[in-house]
Amino acid sequence: MHGLFRWSSKWWPGVIPLAIFWAIAAWTSTEPLEADLAQRSTAALKDTVLDKRRISVAGRDVTFAADAFSEDGRQSAVASVEAVPGVRLVEDETRLVPEAKPFVWSAERDVVRVRLGGSSPLPASKGKLVEAARASLGGVEVVDQMNLSRGAPPRFDNAALLLLDQIGKLKDGKITLSDTKVSLSGMARELGGREAIAAALKNLPEGYSVAANDIKAPPYIFQAYKDPVAVTLTLTGYVPDNNVHAALVQAAERKFFSEKVVDNLKASVGAPSGFANAVVPALGALSRLSTGTLVVSDREVKLSGDALYEAAANQIRAGLGKDFPPGWQYKPEISVKPAAAPVDATVCQQLFAELLGRGRIRFESGKADIVADSAGLLDRLIETALRCPTANIEIAGHTDTDGEEASNRTLSEKRAQAVTDYLIRAGLPADRFTPVGYGSTQPVAGNDTEEGKAQNRRIDFVVR
Amino acid sequence: MVYLTTFYWGWLLASLLLGLAMGWISVVQRGQGVSKTLAQWLAVLAAALVAAAFARIVPGRFGYWLDLGLIMFALYLCGCAVGTWLRERVVSRSAPAG
Repeated sequence: MHGLFRWSSKWWPGVIPLAIFWAIAAWTSTEPLEADLAQRSTAALKDTVLDKRRISVAGRDVTFAADAFSEDGRQSAVASVEAVPGVRLVEDETRLVPEAKPFVWSAERDVVRVRLGGSSPLPASKGKLVEAARASLGGVEVVDQMNLSRGAPPRFDNAALLLLDQIGKLKDGKITLSDTKVSLSGMARELGGREAIAAALKNLPEGYSVAANDIKAPPYIFQAYKDPVAVTLTLTGYVPDNNVHAALVQAAERKFFSEKVVDNLKASVGAPSGFANAVVPALGALSRLSTGTLVVSDREVKLSGDALYEAAANQIRAGLGKDFPPGWQYKPEISVKPAAAPVDATVCQQLFAELLGRGRIRFESGKADIVADSAGLLDRLIETALRCPTANIEIAGHTDTDGEEASNRTLSEKRAQAVTDYLIRAGLPADRFTPVGYGSTQPVAGNDTEEGKAQNRRIDFVVR
Repeated sequence: MVYLTTFYWGWLLASLLLGLAMGWISVVQRGQGVSKTLAQWLAVLAAALVAAAFARIVPGRFGYWLDLGLIMFALYLCGCAVGTWLRERVVSRSAPAG
């Protein structure tokens, strides 16, 4: 041992090549070592959820910066970097993701893009939301402006995914989730979209509620156009359901005795309440016009066109509004068709026969009350009567053979009188008309079939 | 430490072999050795560096280089000791014969 000490004083010359070795080793190994440690540290953090992760290595010292989503997560991340073999010191520059209070998330849609903003709790849910937005809005650009924050309410992902589904039903608008309160605004893409969104919001996760739903629906439009040249009535737009659809078409066929009904209606939800009750009388008013358009937009009824004579125009302008359910608005723009050239009595008779050949004046069963559906036909009869002001006209009531002859005669008289009263109310002089009841004495068809009976129940206009 | 030795074992082996060679030579070398006082000072310096390395007070790359240098130096010393010991045995065995 003593020898070792003695000789050790002569070991120093080897230190010179050793120092050279050291220098070369330091020169060549430092950067690979740093790269290797950085890679191992990154690998150690593979399963840890962090944001803005940054690892830099100087020698064997690792500077580790990241935003963690919980204190536990932060500590375990630092510990796993410290545990990497070869790491000497860890410079801990980690911090917690800022807490958002209130936790606000929003999705805003315009025509070409959807902008996701506000806060999202974790990178995974952020990615999931962007992915879901792309999937449910094919072809629409998705702009991700979400931050990461702590403090999301429980079941945030489910709520946000459900709301993202709704953004697809909007043409434009914004959905905001502030803590657990949902607010919506904007315009639904199609009719019924507002109702669909409202229904979907009932499935929000427990604890979430709708603070404000200001989604507007596009107007619910129903249109009817009476074309005097093509002799058609074209119905377009929406009806609430198939029952209303059938009822409206039937009503149109009753009221428009000579026009062909072209039915282009589609069924859709979102109709304003009282839709059928407003549209049926409005169609009745349209049937009295020579040419006209009926536009029902939400609760606004716009009727424009030409009435056949002044009194009819006044009745249509004044009369329709009071038939409507509450909350409906009526905007008539009725002008009067220029009076047709006067004709002599024989032409008048032809015109009456032609009109009454196409449609019949209808009454309540067994009564002398004129059904509202006949207003269009009566207006045309009145217009014709106005063209031959000198002709005296017999209003002839007829019935079928059902029932006693005496009562049939009385009924036909009453019905002829009712028509005469109607004409007088329209402004025609009373002395031009003679109501006569013939009962069943002048049939135009056999009374052995229902069809024949229906033809025999009639009012004829006979120029005398 | 295990990680470091696997990372640059070549340089450590080189230091060890250098030490062996130096130890082997030192027994028969005629030159001046280091004086006792200087050796003490060098020992103090080495101890201080070791202490600094264990305390991890030298930051970053310099800290790494210090660790590297000390490990190489330690292996060099081990090599010297083994080399000297071997050479001494060879010399003392052949001396009675010579």
